[in-house]
Parts: sequence; structure tokens; C-alpha cells
Amino acid sequence: MNPQLQVLVALQDLEQMIKDAEDQEKAHQLEEMGFNLGGLDGLKKAKEDLEAKLDPRHRNYYRRLKQRFGHAVVPVIGNLCMGCFSNIPSSFTSVTHENKILHCENCGRILYWP
Amino acid sequence: MDVLDVLKHTSPELFLPDLKATRKHAALEEMVEGLVAGTPITNRETLLQMLTARENLGSTAVGPGVAFPHGRTLAVQKLHILIARSRAGVDFEAEDGSLTRLFFMLIAPPQDSGHQYIKSLAILTDKMQDTELRDRLLETPDYDSFCAALMEG
Repeated sequence: MNPQLQVLVALQDLEQMIKDAEDQEKAHQLEEMGFNLGGLDGLKKAKEDLEAKLDPRHRNYYRRLKQRFGHAVVPVIGNLCMGCFSNIPSSFTSVTHENKILHCENCGRILYWP
Repeated sequence: MDVLDVLKHTSPELFLPDLKATRKHAALEEMVEGLVAGTPITNRETLLQMLTARENLGSTAVGPGVAFPHGRTLAVQKLHILIARSRAGVDFEAEDGSLTRLFFMLIAPPQDSGHQYIKSLAILTDKMQDTELRDRLLETPDYDSFCAALMEG
């Protein structure tokens, strides 16, 4: 996988984790189960460290997509972009594109094959 | 939702009867390897990164001897639950300092359709409050008897 895409996926996962920890209802549910969520500052620092690993163009594009759609990186499942559900050309999975960051031609979101 | 529904997200391939690792990060790595070996998941690096971040938020060792490493990630398409045990015990940084011998690892995609992920976590953490059940689960010889004990308990 393209190393920058790896960082983008990890960043989105981390942002989701932070968002859940800051959501009062979700955090309360987890605390009721016995989980301690005291390390939020550490997670935010880890998020900054991940962002610093991104090329500025990827970082800026990620932020624009996130602002527009809420999620910048979406999985491709069954040849469908799971952001807008449009068909992804089969050529996208060819060897020549293997190490590239690809975007949905319809919505522009960053594509990830899980 | 009940224990039977929770067990639909696991399988004999996702049952590690005796972990070799005794330290936290190594145990997470071993469980991630188990998950990759038993499912179509391939991105072990993303899984490990997410689980490590979750542990940094706060240790998931929340009951005497039991831990629930969990999280949501783009690297998976559906909820998977891996069960692992350790006879020697793992230092999973439990607040009471006890070693962890029983693990339920829950990995879900970002969208939690039907709230299966959070409900499964709630059912398992609740079940593991039962000390006798925890002890029985550590002694069951295989996956089928483990599941039977979990359903009976």
C-alpha cells in the first residue's frame, strides 16, 4: 500500500476514536462498561504526529474532503465507492495503480481497498 | 441481542487457546496475526496502529484477568471478534496491576450498523463480571466448549 495512504487511513481511524471519546453519550457508555478514557491528550498528540507525516498536498486535500463530506477516505467494496456508491473502474485495481493514491472520479474521496 | 448473536462474529479460526506473548504489545501483535490468519483482513499495520492508539486512550483490561482490546477501522468490512487466552498471563497494564488471562478483541468497520459492535462489547463486559464464568472459560479444552460455557453462563 502507498505509505501516504497508510497514514491517511490511520489518521481517519484516530480521528474517529477521538470523536467517540469526546462524544458524551458514547464516552459514558464505555465508562459504564468499566473503560477508562483518560488518555485523550495523548491521542490528540498522536494525531498531530500523523498529520506531520503527510505531504502538504495530501494533508490539505484530506482536510477539504473531511470538511465537505465528514469522511475523506472511503472503502471500495464490490467495485463501489462507499462514499457516493458510484462504480469504480476495474482499471483502478491494475498493477500500474497499485502504489498510488486514487480518488473516486465522481465524488473525489480517497479510495481504500480493505 | 444476546450472547448467541455475539458469537456469530467469531469462529474456531478466531480462537487462540494459549498466547505465547507475555507483554502487552507482543500480545496485541499475536492477536492481530490471529485475526489476519482467520479472516480476509490483510492490513495488520493499520489494525495494530488502531489498537495501540486505543490502549493509549486507556487500558482495555477492565476486569480482574480480562481485557477487551477494541476499535473501529477502515481496514475491516464487518465486525470480527477474536478470543484469546493466556495461561502464563499478560501484563496488559490493568489498573489493579493483575495479569490478564482472557481476551476478547472486537474490531469493527467505522459504520456500526445496528450498533452490533457496542452492544457486543456491552454484553461481553457484563458477562465477564461473573468470576466463576471467567474461571470456567479459562479451563475449557476447545472453542466449542468455550462457547457453550459462555452461553450457559
